[in-house]
Amino acid sequence: MKMITGGAFQGKTSYAVHNFGILAENIKDGEKCGFDEVFGAKCIVNYHLLVKRLIDNGVEPMEFTEQLCSENSDMVVIINEIGCGIVPIEKSERIWREQVGRCGCIIAGKSQEVVRVIGGIGVVIKGGI
Amino acid sequence: MTVLVSGGSKCGKSRYAEDIISKSGIDKKYYIATMQPFGEEAHLAIERHRKMREGKGFLTLEQYTDIEKAEISLQSAVLIECMGNLCANEMFSDSAVEDPVSKIVSGIKKLSERAGLLVIVTNEVFSDGIEYESGTMEYIKAMGEINSRISAFADVVTECVYGIPVAVKGDV
Repeated sequence: MKMITGGAFQGKTSYAVHNFGILAENIKDGEKCGFDEVFGAKCIVNYHLLVKRLIDNGVEPMEFTEQLCSENSDMVVIINEIGCGIVPIEKSERIWREQVGRCGCIIAGKSQEVVRVIGGIGVVIKGGI
Repeated sequence: MTVLVSGGSKCGKSRYAEDIISKSGIDKKYYIATMQPFGEEAHLAIERHRKMREGKGFLTLEQYTDIEKAEISLQSAVLIECMGNLCANEMFSDSAVEDPVSKIVSGIKKLSERAGLLVIVTNEVFSDGIEYESGTMEYIKAMGEINSRISAFADVVTECVYGIPVAVKGDV
């Protein structure tokens, strides 16, 4: 399992395509794909948005993430960094932000390689060669 | 040794900071809590952190402001959690001080000279790109200055990214 993170619009998906051999047609988008689809996906983008949809649909995101990691341990997960700001006033946004942090820690913990992409450049922060 | 651990929301920085203290082998360990127990979410957060520390031998000191007054023994291991709350308390409480940045930084410096190992957990609050009203912008600016000034004398500065420690300065 591999994880790619970083801010928005940094070239994370492009990094997955070029460095991890992911084909565009094999990428599932966490913003809109079915929850079942990610279990067979080679690559999932916008995992932070999937977390939001899980919360909105009453699914416990950490349990879902644990299960996904154990059933699809060869996937590449792309998740934005969203936690580096002021605590949101809106409770639902606070919960989402915290759940993204915790789910991201689960995925990073189980990944052999974690890359942080800044300005299109990947910095390997865990594992790698 | 002084270590500054930064990171965003729920990035595993507390766990990492506790690990540094535990691995130090220093017997006398303090946990300086700066979060005031107001509201349900604060209580939940405090309870969660308390559970995480359980059995690790920390003596908890509550120090919501005036960090320099924390009574720690010489050469002890000290974990301060967290700068975001300490800074907010100094800036926005009834007894708000004129120059919270200098007050906090000199307090931390004083503790760093007394402790054998000082680990400070701080917060990355700088990158959501939102232009807040002036009070919040002042707070973000103060946090940036505090982090910079502590980083200048800290031996180690680390940023936690989804649980992974990324070295910024030095190494533990």
